[in-house]
Amino acid sequence: MVEEVKNNLQELLSKVSGLYGVVITDRDGVHLLKVNSDKAPEHAMRPNFISTFGLAVDQGSKLGLGKTNTLICVYSQYQVIQMNKLPLIVTFIASDTCNTGHILAIEKQLDPIVSNLALAVAES
Amino acid sequence: MEKHLDRVMDEVVSRAGVFGCVFVDRQGLCLGAKGKTSTESAGLIAAIAEQAAKLEPHSGDPIIKLESDNKDCLIFRPTSTGTVTAAVYKNKIQ
Repeated sequence: MVEEVKNNLQELLSKVSGLYGVVITDRDGVHLLKVNSDKAPEHAMRPNFISTFGLAVDQGSKLGLGKTNTLICVYSQYQVIQMNKLPLIVTFIASDTCNTGHILAIEKQLDPIVSNLALAVAES
Repeated sequence: MEKHLDRVMDEVVSRAGVFGCVFVDRQGLCLGAKGKTSTESAGLIAAIAEQAAKLEPHSGDPIIKLESDNKDCLIFRPTSTGTVTAAVYKNKIQ
């Protein structure tokens, strides 16, 4: 199953120009699945960076706008898009010029993969 | 700025046969949508325009027409007006 999911994610990387990597982690940033190209910055895939999403979600909930679904951080060279699939976090790492809307549109495609993984995480 | 875009979108949608339009920014994020359209397609519209422009880089801005049995989708990204991409959905004239 893992190989199949990895192949799907690899396909996504080639479909979206400028997308460097997709990482699916648990809430602590521990990697469950990682697919990335050579251009992906290693530090953006570290657990201590990814796990800060949990803090951002907590802070975001204080805005009174409902549950935080997506967090987009655009830096000078890269952009990081994180999706709230708690207990899982899906992180996309892309170039700053990459099509953000295209990545957001991928969310629905990832849902079956993520829900399968979430089940596996919940069971363990 | 939004008022102006709203006005443009209202004008586009009021044309004969047009049932919706979407405007997308450089990052593929939706600027506005009117009619029977989905804001979720914003990213894909920008991606289609970007890829189509790569086919003939020296031939100006392409207009992409996606045809189905009874509907058309026209996508246009004029470089002269920055990098806004427009998609117009039309019913096919029988």
